[in-house]
Amino acid sequence: MKTAAELKFGEIGIINAIDEAHPSSRRVLEFGFTPGQEIELINKSLFNDPLAFAVRGTIIAIRKDEANCIKLE
Amino acid sequence: MNVQTLTSIPHISLVGPPNSGKTTLFNYLSGKNYKTVNYPGATVEYSISRLQDKFDYAAHVIDTPGLISLLPNSPDEVVSINSLYSHPWFGTPDLIVVTVDVSQLSRHLLLVKQLLACKFNIVVALTMLDLLKRKDYDVNTEKLSNLLNCPVVQIDPRSGNGVINLIDQVRISLNNLTPGSRQNITRLNGEGSFNSLLTLYREIEIIEKEVLFKVGRTPQINLTRANKQLKILINPEAKTESRQIDRTTLKIDSILLHRIWGIFFFFLIMGLTFTSIFWLAEPLMGLVDSFFSLSSTTAFNLIGNNWFGDFIANGIISGTGSVLVFVPQIIILFLILGLLEDSGYLARGAMLIDKPLSKIGLNGKSFVPMLSGFACAIPAMMATRTIPNKRERFLTIFILPLMSCSARLPVYALLIAFLLPAGKSWVGGIMLACIYIFSIISSVTVAGIINKFKNTLIRTEDNSSFILELPAYRKPKFKVVAVNTYHNAKHYIRKAGPIILGFSIILWFLTYFPNTNPPVHSSRVTDAQVIEFQKSARLSSSYAADLGRFIQPVMTPIGMDWRVGVSLIAAFTAREVFVSSLALIFKVTDNSDKDFQNSMISAMRKAEIEGTNQKLFTTSTILGLIVFFIFALQCLSTVAVSKKETGGWRIPVLQLLIFTSTAYLLTFITVNSLRALGLG
Repeated sequence: MKTAAELKFGEIGIINAIDEAHPSSRRVLEFGFTPGQEIELINKSLFNDPLAFAVRGTIIAIRKDEANCIKLE
Repeated sequence: MNVQTLTSIPHISLVGPPNSGKTTLFNYLSGKNYKTVNYPGATVEYSISRLQDKFDYAAHVIDTPGLISLLPNSPDEVVSINSLYSHPWFGTPDLIVVTVDVSQLSRHLLLVKQLLACKFNIVVALTMLDLLKRKDYDVNTEKLSNLLNCPVVQIDPRSGNGVINLIDQVRISLNNLTPGSRQNITRLNGEGSFNSLLTLYREIEIIEKEVLFKVGRTPQINLTRANKQLKILINPEAKTESRQIDRTTLKIDSILLHRIWGIFFFFLIMGLTFTSIFWLAEPLMGLVDSFFSLSSTTAFNLIGNNWFGDFIANGIISGTGSVLVFVPQIIILFLILGLLEDSGYLARGAMLIDKPLSKIGLNGKSFVPMLSGFACAIPAMMATRTIPNKRERFLTIFILPLMSCSARLPVYALLIAFLLPAGKSWVGGIMLACIYIFSIISSVTVAGIINKFKNTLIRTEDNSSFILELPAYRKPKFKVVAVNTYHNAKHYIRKAGPIILGFSIILWFLTYFPNTNPPVHSSRVTDAQVIEFQKSARLSSSYAADLGRFIQPVMTPIGMDWRVGVSLIAAFTAREVFVSSLALIFKVTDNSDKDFQNSMISAMRKAEIEGTNQKLFTTSTILGLIVFFIFALQCLSTVAVSKKETGGWRIPVLQLLIFTSTAYLLTFITVNSLRALGLG
């Protein structure tokens, strides 16, 4: 399954599930990454990590490793 | 603040997610008795204050650390959340005011729902309406209040609009409190939290759809609306929903977070910040410095040449001066950082630098404290509280003393001046830049090494994470930042002041006693010279000198003698004391600035290692001293703050041992290898 970390610049995806096994999963959820949400990769930092996503009307920067626990449809 | 007043009037806690305007609201509400207090035994800090008089309501407001959820993710969050339930001093708050960014409703209502589920008495304060309106949306406050079943008020804490209504609502809510209602407060259960969060989000989304509505959809046509529609036609991709990202922010980000130019702007902004901390603060620091040396001389002349006069002049007044001399720099640092943060850039800076810093065990969030470290390690250590991961936070604190703080500047200035060839002062600038670059490289190296031994040295390991909101860009409000800066400066004086002053007095004692009134030749010299001779004789027979002679065997291998040793010990109060202490030992008395440095340098050139005819200060020993100052943790205030911030003596003691022994070892290598190469 594709994860948020694999989105291309400007690509939009819809969250399918959050991997509960990841230690940051609850925090990711609390920041607004919930199943059904549309997210867009809008920026990448140096060395392509962290990634900045548009979610719920704001921008959240999150490490690639953490973006991996966001599974897309 | 006594317990009586704490319990006799209601206390209100301000709670809210980061970037929801909580602290801005607090600063607007707070008046007299503003205090920052530590949660006992922890590093979580609270600001507390009485409501401003103009609100005509007696209550305490407490600003709490930003929270996005009632389920803790770090040890500090555990403390923050626990204190919401029962603060050791204030108990359970009578009322909680939750700030909610209305343009972020679907995220920020999470905390509100959790607080309501736990049966806290709350009032919701909606902020950032301007941001929502920029998206052509508005909110139905009354409907939101009905759906949540709690009072909701719109406010703008930056201008103060609506705050009066909030206070009125607070008053009503507090009057309606049923006795014992606080006994019903429950805790969120961490079990099954994943699914309950999802349920909460579903409820929140229904509420969001109900209360947000589009504006400007009325049938009559006006010019602005026609223009707007035209814009939508031109930009067909423009999303017309409330969740769209602020367009201005996206535009600015396309430059400041550009994949190539982003890093250029990052270094440009940081470079400007960094240099302005120095160049703006320097004249002010000079002013503070000369004020205190003038007061010190005046006091000495007024009281007379006895132990008491010396204690007042050199113990108390100079000690106070050494506290206050850093205030201009701290003010400028916090002003610039505050403006950068308020504008929304700092979060982006942290994102840009996260990857490189994570390679050496740090975090993107370590970057602001590290930047502050160039001014002073003390506020920098306080700034590490924003790092959620304990290991990364402690590691950041660990390496902060290596950042080249401003107290080292006078020392480097003197040492560089000694090395400079006559008439080539620009070489000095290059040398200073090299020292800074070298100190950055060495702190990065040290962080990498310490991180390798994190299990033995730092002894904590939790999940490293970087999740940070990049808030919409806004024009920073100078007044808001200035108030914060004022409180930070006051906080520094209160917290670090007594420690620095205390150590200054101890050192004064060590350098003054036991031989308080040494005999000196008083024939054919002026009174002022007698005093200087006395000072010098007193110092060379003082406890500090004993200590210096005791460590002579340590100084010999690095090509120095007890006099440098004493100055190094004295420099533990504050590094720049090294210069004045050397001046005292070498009897340099000329106080006018330019001549002072010249006479100081000529005295240093003449000095020979006691008992030999070998020169004390040579290219090799001066370079050795520079190396020593780069690494040594010569600042007892830093040790004290490090102890406070890490909650124990382990880390500060390790820092002291590791940095000072590294400094010694590297100085030894520098001096002896330079000598072997024939460089004096």
